[in-house]
Amino acid sequence: MDGTLVATAEEAPREADIAFDRLYRSSRDDVYAYVASLVRDAAAAEDVTATAFERAYRKRSRFDPSRGERRAWLFGIARNAALDELRRRGRQAELAAEPADLASVPAHESAEASERRLALNAALTRLEPRERELIALKFFAGLANAEIAAVLGLSESNAGTRLHRAVTKLREACDGAL
Amino acid sequence: MEPFRDDTDLIAELRALRPTPRPAFAAELDERAAAGFTRHPSRASSPLANLFARLRAVPPRRLALSAGATALAAVAAATVVVAVGEPRSDSASLTQLSPTARPVSPPTSESPVSGAAGAGSNGVSSTAKPSSSGAGTGVQYEAADPTVTGTAASGEESSSTSAGRLGGVGPSAVGSGPFASNAGHRDVERSAEMVLGTDPAEIGSDAARVFDAVHAANGIVLSSSVTGGAAGDAGARFDLLIPAAKLGDALADFSAIGTVVSRHEATDDITAPTVRIGEHLRDSRATIDGLLVQLAGADTDSERAEVEAELRAERRHAASLRSQATKLDRRANLSRVSVRIVTDPGTATADQSGGWSIGDALDDAGHILGIAAGVTIVALAILVPLGLIALLVWLANRARIRRGRERALT
Repeated sequence: MDGTLVATAEEAPREADIAFDRLYRSSRDDVYAYVASLVRDAAAAEDVTATAFERAYRKRSRFDPSRGERRAWLFGIARNAALDELRRRGRQAELAAEPADLASVPAHESAEASERRLALNAALTRLEPRERELIALKFFAGLANAEIAAVLGLSESNAGTRLHRAVTKLREACDGAL
Repeated sequence: MEPFRDDTDLIAELRALRPTPRPAFAAELDERAAAGFTRHPSRASSPLANLFARLRAVPPRRLALSAGATALAAVAAATVVVAVGEPRSDSASLTQLSPTARPVSPPTSESPVSGAAGAGSNGVSSTAKPSSSGAGTGVQYEAADPTVTGTAASGEESSSTSAGRLGGVGPSAVGSGPFASNAGHRDVERSAEMVLGTDPAEIGSDAARVFDAVHAANGIVLSSSVTGGAAGDAGARFDLLIPAAKLGDALADFSAIGTVVSRHEATDDITAPTVRIGEHLRDSRATIDGLLVQLAGADTDSERAEVEAELRAERRHAASLRSQATKLDRRANLSRVSVRIVTDPGTATADQSGGWSIGDALDDAGHILGIAAGVTIVALAILVPLGLIALLVWLANRARIRRGRERALT
């Protein structure tokens, strides 16, 4: 990610470009990970990630710091783009399906590690979509609880509580499978 | 196989499951980021979509400023259009009237007028009483044509009839009313009101010129009042009867005395009552002739007395009808004219100089602001409901999209 964002002076203030450049560099892979966990399709995830950054870039001058962190703002845009994609393609049913890239296991791993990972993946699939989204935001995208709360429109404590429940549920499911 | 030891172990395993982008995709996205995320050609196909995309990219503050500037320009343009197209009835500044610029209808026929005593016989600071009473006002109109009026300052002239008795008038007069078939000529009553502006020092001489003009037209001064003093206090007022045939000339003479501040002319078709009274009068005369014949053939005193009583009553009736006919005739032949000379600073001074004073400028500014306010109110009356509807549609659409997104997730 060595490229520098280009924007004309008429379109946005210089500070907004610099801030967006930083945001892009720090969030590209996180956004992709979150989006991929939502749309469960690698190709669609790439399209949605690109769309999300494109929308965020166009709206970069409209970001209001008083309304939250820039990273939460970006993930809100990514969430909307992902849900739009799901709506457009009518993929609600596929949310429960197991994506190939998430279930894949590196060849060098031991059989036990592979089994644990498959069990975790299966448990993840059995979670409610909202719970899976919380897990994705926290552990795939690396957002803080406050940022998750801002993305999902929850209070920070509520987000933390829900996340704890989701992790507990996930662990119980894994323990039951193993 | 061992389960996860604790949450840390689980979370570490979860993080290992984190999807990662393909290097090729990451490189492509970096390139697009470096290029400023130019829109994908397939997504920018519609010009309307392009426009919306551009509008959505504009910061709200800049968008609001642009919308405000556009609205202001629209209001200014509408104000100019309305102000230019609006006729003004009491203007003494922007649409300053000039006596020489005012078209005056020339008389088309002459009719002799009797009883013109008292014309121009009064001087300054006097009150003249008419030597002959004004035209009767007690006649009830049965089928008068609509009154035609004109406002001098608007540049519109009233109907160009000038004589009380017309050999032929427009189709609206000839072709309507119960007596239209009998209308070889029309009896039309005309009246006029005129306000002149002048300098306080010239109020006396201007009043004298009014009397001269009345005298020249063989008119009658019913009453006059001339007051000297400072601007605004000084003034003159004249109630006149002018022969209908010379009304146009008289008004032209009055217009030349000072600057015309306002001028109003009206016509009223009195053909219907005139014809009706004429018919009643003929009937009455026939009745009298018949009663005279009866009186000549009466054999007894009582029979003669009865016929004589009827004859007296019928003669009174005929006299009343003749009086009404005379009054109508006078109304058709003599036009009531009211002339007022004012010395208001806003009219007289500007009129004399032909310039544009600060007062005029303030008047015009107020006028333009009034138009601008009117235009704004009308625009708001249209735009506010439309804006509310658009807002409701936008909110409903937003809620629908939000619900659809949540449904897509769950």
